[in-house]
Amino acid sequence: MLNILYRNMKWRVQNPITIVITLIQPILWMVLYGTVGANSMHSTISNYNAFILPGIMVLVTFSACCSGGIINYIMKNNASFYRVLISPVKRVSVVSGQALETVILSFIEISVLMAVSLFFSVRVPSDPLSFLSMLIILFLTAFFLSCLTYTMSLLLPNEVVYETVMNAIVLPTFFLSSALFPSETLSKNLYIVIYLNPFSHVINILRKILMNEPFPAREFFSVSLLLLILCIITFSCALYRLKKETAK
Amino acid sequence: MYTIQTQDLSKTYKNGVNALNNLNIQVKEGEVFSLLGPNGAGKSSLIKILTTQCLATKGKAFILDIDTQKNPDDVRPLISCVSQSISIDSHMSLKENFIFQARLYQLDNKTINQRMKLLIESFELSDYVKYPVSTYSGGIKRRLDIAMNMISFPKVLFLDEPTTGMDVQSRRAMWDMIQKIKETFRTTIFLTTHYLEEADILSDSICIIKDGKELIQASPYELKRLTGNSMIKIGLTDAKLLPSCCRYIESLKLCSSSYIRGESAFFVSDDSDSSFPLIIRALLDKPFYVKSADITSPSLEDVFIDLISKKEVKEDKKVC
Repeated sequence: MLNILYRNMKWRVQNPITIVITLIQPILWMVLYGTVGANSMHSTISNYNAFILPGIMVLVTFSACCSGGIINYIMKNNASFYRVLISPVKRVSVVSGQALETVILSFIEISVLMAVSLFFSVRVPSDPLSFLSMLIILFLTAFFLSCLTYTMSLLLPNEVVYETVMNAIVLPTFFLSSALFPSETLSKNLYIVIYLNPFSHVINILRKILMNEPFPAREFFSVSLLLLILCIITFSCALYRLKKETAK
Repeated sequence: MYTIQTQDLSKTYKNGVNALNNLNIQVKEGEVFSLLGPNGAGKSSLIKILTTQCLATKGKAFILDIDTQKNPDDVRPLISCVSQSISIDSHMSLKENFIFQARLYQLDNKTINQRMKLLIESFELSDYVKYPVSTYSGGIKRRLDIAMNMISFPKVLFLDEPTTGMDVQSRRAMWDMIQKIKETFRTTIFLTTHYLEEADILSDSICIIKDGKELIQASPYELKRLTGNSMIKIGLTDAKLLPSCCRYIESLKLCSSSYIRGESAFFVSDDSDSSFPLIIRALLDKPFYVKSADITSPSLEDVFIDLISKKEVKEDKKVC
């Protein structure tokens, strides 16, 4: 697993543009949309940048994980993917190494995003329990998304189709969540859709932690359990698809 | 016990393409085995099945008596495969590529360092260690690809058209490398190639396949003997008449088969010495102006073309 992780991290370090590009869009959201939105929402939300930061964190995680799928296509094109497949390495190690690389990338990008958000009066939770809870939620979210994007990269025939499909998933998921506005103010039908989006719950709990609300223990466990289940499902799917590569 | 063996191996893809059709081959330990065949003959499909990349539709394939279909996990530590496209990771250094490959095979650091040193020296890669892999020429990248795949000391090394696209000098360097692997590491080499000269020089055993079915398997020497001791080579002043010349001689039943290569027509006959004057007389009787005529020994290319052009090989000619 560490072997695969090291190889992918090395690729990432040698291609820093993939880190920069996946960061640009979320930072623009944070800086531009955050400033514009703050003016129109100042009556209902005291710090709009802190309000949208959890959603942007999920968006940046999505972007980082999507680029993980692209690495898989690059490895397939230069045949090293198949060299790994016919080696005695365990399939679990391949999926884990692949997933952990994008988890690490997500954490790097989230750190940059949080550093930028400090300029917009956003406070990093000082309470260790809240901070640790935030890390656990972010880890599970990133792991789930990286397994999902890896599965998609094994399912879809090429990077063009992959990019198109991922764009069709990411933006609707982002907009149909509680990322940009309070879901309580929406119509009933839209509220149901947003409630069914698991990322709304991730965003809500991160928001509570970042806005220094009392620690939502019950919500934390339920969201962690939901993410854990999603991680297990997507990890199993990725493993199944990888095994199918040699069972055609 | 054979190192590689297939029994009635068949592969039909989802789109209905029949890549392999009851293929039977045997490869002995320590030999260089070459698989020859026209495009679409099933060479790559066979390599994919033997290297556990895909499953056969029917039949069995064994590596050192282990069923590749049932126990792929037991086969993988024993094999290594250099695919048609170069599989090294250009973003890693030469040594990192070796280490990455070695760790896939769970080798410890001491073994990795020992083998890496040996392989770098054996394959004359020392001069390139300090340079980024992305700056290497195609030939050096291919050399690294093969050396890297040797770090696990595989029992069987699959080389899928390793010299395709190489210049003559690089190709000859590759041949030396293959000989060295055979002699130094005693690895069984399974080679597919389009270059018949390459197969002739390197191989202990050659199998020619067509439409997913083996036509013949024998040593290069035996293969050349099969076509007959000699062939009749005819050159005409007007090369455009060669096809009609072949048809004419075949219609007179003065040869068993014929084909054109370059500026000459080749006539295969069981007794070339007797057929030669008859063919010359027949051509002179017609308006074919003979520029050159010769009795030559068949090359592997002649054998290949002869076998491929026939629909089926007569059973009495079959060696395997």
